[in-house]
Amino acid sequence: MALIELQEVSKLYGFGDATTLALDEVTLSIEKGQFVAVMGPSGSGKTTLMNILGLLDRPTHGPYVLDGRHVSRLRSNQQAKVRRDRIGFVFQSYNLLTRLNVLENVALPLAYRGMTPVRRQKQASDMLERVGLREREYFFPRHLSGGQAQRAAIARALINKPSIIIADEPTGNLDSTDSKVVMELFADIHRQGNTILLVTHNPELTRYAERVLYMHDGMIVGDETTAIGNMARGARKTYFERRKVSDDDIVAGVSALMRDVPGKELAAKSDSEKGRSKKSTSKRRTRKVKR
Amino acid sequence: MWSGNVKAAVNSLRTSKWRSLLTMLGIIIGVSSVVTIVSLGQGLKNQILGQINQLGSDVVTVRSGKIVNEDNGGGSSLNFLGLFSASTLSDADVTALKELPSAKAVVPMAFVTNSAKSGNSQLDNVFVIGTSPEMSQVLNQKVKYGEFFTQDSEDTNFAVIGPNIAHKIYGELNPVGQSIEVLGESFVIRGILSQSSGGLFSIAQTDFNSAVFIPFSHAKRLTDNRLNILQIVVRGQNPDNLDPTIEEVKKTLLSTHKGQENFSVLKQYELLSIASGVVNTITGFISGIAAISLLVGGIGIMNIMLVSVSERTREIGIRKALGATNRQILSQFLVEGMALSIGGGLIGIIASAVIYFGLRIYTDLQPVITLPVVALAVLVSVSLGIIFSVAPALKAARKDPIQALRGD
Ligand SMILES: Nc1ncnc2c1ncn2[C@@H]1O[C@H](COP(=O)(O)OP(=O)(O)OP(=O)(O)O)[C@@H](O)[C@H]1O
Ligand SMILES: [Mg+2]
Repeated sequence: MALIELQEVSKLYGFGDATTLALDEVTLSIEKGQFVAVMGPSGSGKTTLMNILGLLDRPTHGPYVLDGRHVSRLRSNQQAKVRRDRIGFVFQSYNLLTRLNVLENVALPLAYRGMTPVRRQKQASDMLERVGLREREYFFPRHLSGGQAQRAAIARALINKPSIIIADEPTGNLDSTDSKVVMELFADIHRQGNTILLVTHNPELTRYAERVLYMHDGMIVGDETTAIGNMARGARKTYFERRKVSDDDIVAGVSALMRDVPGKELAAKSDSEKGRSKKSTSKRRTRKVKR
Repeated sequence: MWSGNVKAAVNSLRTSKWRSLLTMLGIIIGVSSVVTIVSLGQGLKNQILGQINQLGSDVVTVRSGKIVNEDNGGGSSLNFLGLFSASTLSDADVTALKELPSAKAVVPMAFVTNSAKSGNSQLDNVFVIGTSPEMSQVLNQKVKYGEFFTQDSEDTNFAVIGPNIAHKIYGELNPVGQSIEVLGESFVIRGILSQSSGGLFSIAQTDFNSAVFIPFSHAKRLTDNRLNILQIVVRGQNPDNLDPTIEEVKKTLLSTHKGQENFSVLKQYELLSIASGVVNTITGFISGIAAISLLVGGIGIMNIMLVSVSERTREIGIRKALGATNRQILSQFLVEGMALSIGGGLIGIIASAVIYFGLRIYTDLQPVITLPVVALAVLVSVSLGIIFSVAPALKAARKDPIQALRGD
């Protein structure tokens, strides 16, 4: 049996006229040890899917079986324990606790398991060694670079030896060098047998994955198996299509793009690149110039 | 888990020192004022106790005014006015009481405030007590040097002074035989009392340590008969059973007062319970007012905790994502609220200790801080912390993880 099993899982937000179908009868199974990349335009339901897989949210319909256990209807305390023991989150904005130093941040999940301070310090310290941040143990998050902060966050996600690592756009706030460092770390973790779910807008990053899911309008519209090291075909199309997009196209808006490109998931992809990621990249560039 | 929470709480309070301190202020003020007021009340009671013990326990005291209202249920309440209005006791009462067979000694005590002078030194606001030679029999304090004036010497200008007066005017000298000027006349000091544990306060304003005793007849003469007899002390024949004496005294006085019961006949312990009753009432009343600031302080803590919970929504979301259960979040914020209130309580106790020493050093007040009061203060601040942190902590614990992660 697969590690993750979703059977026609749906998620509705709001009610009445304002209802959004964020997930539309998604059926999915993920094997232990897989490195899965999830792509899709903004609003296609990637984060919603991750939240449900990570037990931060409950599906409106459909069962979620994690490692043979029905988890979607568990009480919130039970869900918290499943999160603590089986799931490691890596967020786009690192989400380190600003008032704790790096070591304390990494040790926090152990504290929630009731481990003694001495033991958890030791383990956290070892984990920081693994992500190459040993000498930054006593730094506070605000004194870390983006890449270092994300590595600390990864160390924290790994500390409880989770079954799944869920990373929602972990490189979204990083420049290309830091992105590469972080992705190499994920690759390393994957080689050691961990299951990784990675949401990304960057087609390049599909090189690290062995399976790519394409989402659109709350549905999984593409499921591609790919060799590690190669960019996924679907992603590659997006990649090259995006190159053709001119400023005029951007002005023309979403609908124009959707007509231009083959496969709606890819078209919508460009849309999201236009909409969000580009904005943030340019913002990052200006910041770099200032430095 | 708890130790971690405590550390985290202290950390979080340290990062916003001023805010924490201001939040604790209500508790600090509340605790320190309640402790101070209760300690003052306790001190006052001790002083009054010592005061009343200046007289022997086998005496009956007649006081002006009806101090105690006895109701039908057998209980009694206090008539405060009786303590402050002009005396209804007169010379005639003293004379009448002296006739009683069961009275071994009848001692009038009249009080005048005056200055005492000797040579160059002068003391103001000295209690001048006009009394009879039998005073020495009802007084618990011994005469340390010399002797009390006697029946024979009643017409002579003799005086007996308290040890504080002796010390303040004559220093280390033994003043027996020296002269002292009170009420515009010179008296020869016959004796000096030993120190008693009396203090500054008493419902009769009698501190024998700082008093000058002169014969009653002189006091009367020197004040043109406008002497206020504050109390008449009657010593019974049988110290083990004072009740017959009390009955007789009452009857006699009723007749001299033409049937009006505008006086009180009290045993020593009754006086004691009246005095501590007064102090308890006043202390309780003021403490109650001070305790309101504890309540306000508790509400302040709740307020700041609620602010803190919404400010740290994202932190709560992150902690939940990492696997914190609702209970773990709850206890984190409970501990934080308790740290605030216990911190406030401890600072309040330190503040009251400072006030305590300040009062002891710079004033004549003698507050007494007792362990139960301190323990109560700690208990109250802990419970305030728990009570007023529950709502914010519940709010934090019930936050939805994804909404919290998004920061709303
Ligand atoms: N709490 C919510 N209430 C209402 N609608 C929501 C809520 N969360 C998400 N949605 C809606 O669900 C849909 C899917 O959102 P989701 O965040 O999963 O998209 P996404 O694929 O992660 O997008 P992005 O690439 O921008 O992160 C969107 O239409 C969004 O507006
Ligand atoms: Mg998203």
